[in-house]
Amino acid sequence: MSHEDTNPAAMPEPVEDVQGDARWMSQHNRFVQECKDAEPDVLFVGDSMVQLMQQQEVWKELFSPLHALNFGIAGDTTCNVLWRLQNGELQNIRPKVVVVWVGTNNHQHTAEQVAGGVMEIVQLLMNQIPHTKIILLGLLPRGERQNPLREKNAEVNRLLRASASRLSPVQFLDLSSDFTHSDGAVSSRDMFDYLHLTAAGYRKVARPLHELLLQILEETPEEKQTTLA
Amino acid sequence: MSSGDSNPAAAPTPCEDVQGDGRWMSMHHRFVSDSKGKEPEVLFVGDSLVQLLHEFEVWRKLFSPLHTLNFGIGGDATQHVLWRLTNGELDHINPKVVVLWVGTNNHGHAPEQICGGIMAIVNVINQRLPQAHVLVLGVLPRGKSPNPLRERNARVNELVQAELEALSFASFLDVDPGFVHSDGSISHQDLYDYLHLTPQAYQKVCQPLHQRVKALLEAHAP
Repeated sequence: MSHEDTNPAAMPEPVEDVQGDARWMSQHNRFVQECKDAEPDVLFVGDSMVQLMQQQEVWKELFSPLHALNFGIAGDTTCNVLWRLQNGELQNIRPKVVVVWVGTNNHQHTAEQVAGGVMEIVQLLMNQIPHTKIILLGLLPRGERQNPLREKNAEVNRLLRASASRLSPVQFLDLSSDFTHSDGAVSSRDMFDYLHLTAAGYRKVARPLHELLLQILEETPEEKQTTLA
Repeated sequence: MSSGDSNPAAAPTPCEDVQGDGRWMSMHHRFVSDSKGKEPEVLFVGDSLVQLLHEFEVWRKLFSPLHTLNFGIGGDATQHVLWRLTNGELDHINPKVVVLWVGTNNHGHAPEQICGGIMAIVNVINQRLPQAHVLVLGVLPRGKSPNPLRERNARVNELVQAELEALSFASFLDVDPGFVHSDGSISHQDLYDYLHLTPQAYQKVCQPLHQRVKALLEAHAP
């Protein structure tokens, strides 16, 4: 496994404002502000897969009632999420569960580096919020048919599953198999652009995730966690 | 007006598969093949603001009943839409109204170039679908606070609106319901990332749009 200092996917980095409207920083600042007022039991953090979920009905139905905050930003890599979490997005909050979904945008990094970056996020969360539980979501397949990014994402998932199994606060939830048909094709009914989820696609993720969240939230802090991913 | 060769925003250009999963081409092929089986009365074409509209309830309520196809692709700039429309997406359909919404992703292009790109698309649609009315939507403001892209987009709208006045087969519609508040800010309740629309913002945008499309369809009837 790569050491944190030499793994580029584990180095915190903000997103540079290339386009000229400073949207990334505006979103980050808004999240920092939200930490001042909110007392979330659940925190979702990651990329567009997280961000877009909040625009779907399923968020209002299943996750708002759990007092969930959504700190997803489209395009984010593990580096960007790390930077945000180290720069205010964990201030003043003590969520019982953090849902982490990131890694598919780490185009410059190998699968090993990406997995290392995700685990760096996990480590940070465990240090900053002792007793918090963490749910790691597996990277979904992307692209209409088999392609190198699918293999890469699958390899990241294998590595994450192994790492998660060694850490008792962490559970790994991989829903990839729900998205490929027997011929390996991804349907536009699930992913309108073969990457981002439709409402139907989100329902496939939200149901098992919600069940797992309820399970975790219902466990009292004193009970030993025995369920495995 | 810039000629196609010297204006990059008006030169048909496919999107390069940099990431490695061929998604842009997959979507283009799906649109071409969709167009073979269907007979839409209305076609929406453009970038993510078009594409994401399809994913919300408002599409099902207002546009599906009008027999509408959605050929939006996230990230597309004018030159990408131009390539798609000249490479099959218009070959098998004959809609009465084409709604065009593109321009915000033309980074590095001047407002005049972006306007040139939009007008090139309008003309291509008219060449291939001489019976169709082309409805060009204004590019929306973006960013939480005033910034150069807002000025750029506003200038694009001014230029496009002026050029469309000369055409009988096309018109301009400003669908911004007033997203910019008096203090210059845009709310995340409308643009959750200061660029893309929430479902409630789409409702506000689609009211006048739906009215206009219906009126155009009625005017088109023999």
